[in-house]
Amino acid sequence: MRIAKYPFAVLSAALFTVMLMTPISSLSNLIWLASVDMPVGLISSLEVILFDFQRLGIALFGVIIIGFTVAFTIAGLISKYSSLGGKYLYAVAGSVAIGMALILMVELLFQTQLLGGNRTLIGKVLHWGAGFLGGYFYFKLISEEKNYTFIIRFLGIFYAYFLLGLVLNWVFTPIIAASDFGFVFSELTSEAQNALLRDFTSFFVATFLFSIFGVITLNPVWFFSAGLIYIGAGIFNLIAIYAHGTGFNQIFVGEFILGSWPIALGLVLYFKQKKTLD
Amino acid sequence: MRAKYLLFVLCFSTSLFSDYQFETVLSGLDDAWSLEFLSEDEIIYTEMPGKLKIANLIDGSITQIKNTPKVQYSSQGGLSEVVLDPDFASNNIIYLSYSARNSDGKSTLYLMSAVLNKDSLENKKVIFEAKAPRRIPVHLGAKIAFLNDGTILLASGDGFDHREKAQTLDNHFGKIIRINKDGTIPSDNPFVNVENALPDIYSYGHRNQQGLIVTKTGEIYEHEHGPRGGDEMNLIEPSLNYGWPAITYGIDYSGAVISPFTEKEGMEQPLFHWTPSIAPSDMIFYEGDKYPELKNSFLVTALVSKDVKKVTFSQTGKDNQESLFSELNSRLRNIQASPNGFIYLLTDGPRGKLIKVLSE
Repeated sequence: MRIAKYPFAVLSAALFTVMLMTPISSLSNLIWLASVDMPVGLISSLEVILFDFQRLGIALFGVIIIGFTVAFTIAGLISKYSSLGGKYLYAVAGSVAIGMALILMVELLFQTQLLGGNRTLIGKVLHWGAGFLGGYFYFKLISEEKNYTFIIRFLGIFYAYFLLGLVLNWVFTPIIAASDFGFVFSELTSEAQNALLRDFTSFFVATFLFSIFGVITLNPVWFFSAGLIYIGAGIFNLIAIYAHGTGFNQIFVGEFILGSWPIALGLVLYFKQKKTLD
Repeated sequence: MRAKYLLFVLCFSTSLFSDYQFETVLSGLDDAWSLEFLSEDEIIYTEMPGKLKIANLIDGSITQIKNTPKVQYSSQGGLSEVVLDPDFASNNIIYLSYSARNSDGKSTLYLMSAVLNKDSLENKKVIFEAKAPRRIPVHLGAKIAFLNDGTILLASGDGFDHREKAQTLDNHFGKIIRINKDGTIPSDNPFVNVENALPDIYSYGHRNQQGLIVTKTGEIYEHEHGPRGGDEMNLIEPSLNYGWPAITYGIDYSGAVISPFTEKEGMEQPLFHWTPSIAPSDMIFYEGDKYPELKNSFLVTALVSKDVKKVTFSQTGKDNQESLFSELNSRLRNIQASPNGFIYLLTDGPRGKLIKVLSE
């Protein structure tokens, strides 16, 4: 556990930093939209912030992991072989990592500023600040003893983070979400439209909430619930293909993965908790 | 077994049964971007590194034109569009759009007129410099078209990092420009007397326009790249706002939301949008007779979908689309019809080809 703590602390700090960084782009965009008299309201703001957290965030997550891995390794070495150390060393390392990552993304990869929130000086400062807090968060995580629940919680959160994309699609842009599943919304009867939106949205929102509840309570039942639903979807996908002659749909692979992931978390929790009770 | 074999042959030999055949007329073109027919057998074409060439399509001989403008060949920039003056037969004037550094060292879009004298450009005049400076030459637009009154339309893209400026009229980001052939501004331009607006702006709220044509009846059709999704086909009217980036059907390359809105009063809706993106790169309205099934349809080349979209509109305005020439499996950069009506396609990239479409 002592070794596993560090990579999962990097992953957790990266996700935390994503959570701080994406609203910078969202808010700068919303402020501009409001400035040109677009009807920005609570729902549209929430839509932008949540979508950015999930879709932009997933893209940023990988970049931040790389940056943090390098920065925190160097900070760790400095801390070990010098008198410098403590929370501010990691915080500064996090800030430098984000600053460098954002510069390199422009100079080496895209040549343009893909991150809307980083186009202004204040946006840049806020991103460095997010990196600073991410580094501080990393220091807090590695400063404390961690047990297996730290990893379970991270993997559960990351699972929910992944599902969030589907949830947001079905809540905010259900017609586009339906088209991704092969439905031509306008060609359905109103009853079918209602059933489609109702059932699919409920399906994804419920499994998302199950995983969140699992992370909060560490009760394996929540993870099993989410997992069984997706395993069921995978099984009935195959039955639909081979017993009912529907078109082949390889999404069953994803369904089995989405089912196995929380079930694995639930099993670890179950056996660890059983061992503790024994 | 034989039936299965026959089916296999049929499935994998579609090009044999295609309605079209293709003849590679030129190859080894270096980032060729646009072309115009000087005659049925001769074209003038641009290569992004800054070369302007004339090719004889019969014997394949190529002449490089001297005294071309100095361009900034980088990213999406370079020597872009070449068009002939409507009176080219009598005045030999051509127009070139290109990216180059301005006096501040920033990249921007230029439009030049010049007289084509055999293998050299003479009497060169920069007739337009976009007030759209950017760090690197991206999203330039750079398409040129002539209105039926003889004025020039020039597409000026949003510069990517400057997308919000497409909504303000004090710059040339995300605009369609209208000027006279000598670079002066027509007095009937829509924003001539509007305070804080540049008088050469014709329409605004555009992203990266890559198709711009004027039909014989004077209608202006434009298409532009969206980000991820939201490539648009628009009918352009003077003074109108086409919405980018306040309304869009696309999302950013990063996955971020550009706008949660797809419509707003005072902003024009596209005729239709391509989502997911096809990356439209050029367009003609085909009026020739060589391919009767294509007559009076828009033909749009695409980089991502690697085909030509045949677009027609029903009387109710609904668009019908058909994918053509996908068997070429090439990123298509440009499309032109020869004076006799043959369609030619320019493929994208450093080893581009000019392909003639032959109808069976």
